[in-house]
Amino acid sequence: MAEVYKLIHPVKYFNDYINRNVRPDGRKFEDQRNIKLNVNAIKSTDASAVVKCGNTTVVCGIKLELAKPKAEEPDFGFLVTNVELLPLCSSKFRPGPPSDHAQVISNIVADIFANSKSVNLKDLCIVPDKLAWVVYCDMVCLDNDGSVVDACIMTLITSLKSLTLPKVNYDVETEEISVDTSIRTPLNINGLPVATSFAVYQQSPRSIVLIDPSAYEEEMCGGTGANLIICWNNGQFCGIQKFGGSNLSNEAEKKTLIIAKERSKLVEKVIETCLKNEIK
Amino acid sequence: MGVEDENNFKLRPMKCELNYLSKSDGSAILAQGETVVLVSVNGPLDIKSNSQSIEKATLEVLFCGKGGKPSVADRFKENVIKQTCETAILGCLYPRTGISLTIQELEDYGGLLTCTVNCACLALLNSGMAMRHMVAAISCAVNEVGNLVLEPSYEQVQSSRALLHFVFESREKNLVTGFTEGSFSEDTYEEALARCRLASELVFDFYRDIVRKYSNVI
Repeated sequence: MAEVYKLIHPVKYFNDYINRNVRPDGRKFEDQRNIKLNVNAIKSTDASAVVKCGNTTVVCGIKLELAKPKAEEPDFGFLVTNVELLPLCSSKFRPGPPSDHAQVISNIVADIFANSKSVNLKDLCIVPDKLAWVVYCDMVCLDNDGSVVDACIMTLITSLKSLTLPKVNYDVETEEISVDTSIRTPLNINGLPVATSFAVYQQSPRSIVLIDPSAYEEEMCGGTGANLIICWNNGQFCGIQKFGGSNLSNEAEKKTLIIAKERSKLVEKVIETCLKNEIK
Repeated sequence: MGVEDENNFKLRPMKCELNYLSKSDGSAILAQGETVVLVSVNGPLDIKSNSQSIEKATLEVLFCGKGGKPSVADRFKENVIKQTCETAILGCLYPRTGISLTIQELEDYGGLLTCTVNCACLALLNSGMAMRHMVAAISCAVNEVGNLVLEPSYEQVQSSRALLHFVFESREKNLVTGFTEGSFSEDTYEEALARCRLASELVFDFYRDIVRKYSNVI
């Protein structure tokens, strides 16, 4: 019966839940979904991680390559992030070149990560002007059930934390490169950026903030891309983004900042526990 | 920073001309400091049936950079403007139609996106589109010492530690859009938000002056 009701009166259906201070999936407004994290799920990559926040699943694989640094930045390595939203993850995506939405998500993830300065690109340089690491971080969304950016940042940072770089010897005279895979050093990571998404639902006069929204909630709150995303790293914000959607009042905005900080503590604990178990 | 300082801020000089293009339904050219943007609005018009929405007008945003070639970064800018303007336009009055917004960057000396959002709002006002509220974008830089600079110049943008951009609506001054570059503390964010909110008043005043100049009735 409820399913029929949802189709006939979509807005009223959602409103009825919100009026009773509960979300359609049974969560409270400030409840987030369970997080499941697994490191080194893909053996053929240099590092990888899978995360599941509720139904949202994102896999990240890291591939290492060697290249010559750019002439204008001779002592910088490269870190390339890319997010793929394939037709597999949601009916909204069609086969073919990446949609505008997919490009925007990819851009947001890359921006947040660059702004957090968690990886110093100078650490990726082996010999200035001659040789540097290229770290390709490819994230693939398997199931898109909202808050994709959170999941992407989580898998990305977990895989980077588990990444080890093999030792490279470079002979300046002969320009010969030899890679010694038996000696591996972990990559230096500064802090642990954690992104938290919020959907803002305008129910005048109040605006309701839903944490870790599902795809259905995102759609009811102004469509995909209207989320408020807050990223917290090392006691600083490294990205607060909101693009249109419902307008956010000052009080609601302060509340989101507090929640984002609390959630980042929890996610940090999840990532650390997961990495510790992996080493054992 | 004293209280006096907070109330006496000045934005970069804004110059604007409406109806700049003769063939579009609404157009505006806006210069904020040395950054110049031209926006043209057409619509509501017919669009392909597969991109029609039965609930509201479909907004199409095309951003043309100075360099010519479209890039992923341009998609991002288009998305910012599209989402912001979609909130501002009363799209439910024009169902099954399309509204197209074409943006041409002319000069970029910092604050391109804020200038674009403001110019888009002026062009929409000029086209006579029904709107829920106006929007005003303000950017703010955190300089090396940690002080806030409203509407930074090109040199200030280059040397800044963080850049924060906000878009407010005209009715309650609530936040419509916000995006940041670099990292900053919570206090900085709160202060920047409060100061930009105050400064948005100046932009709305500017809109009012411009519209009054072009309108015979008011």
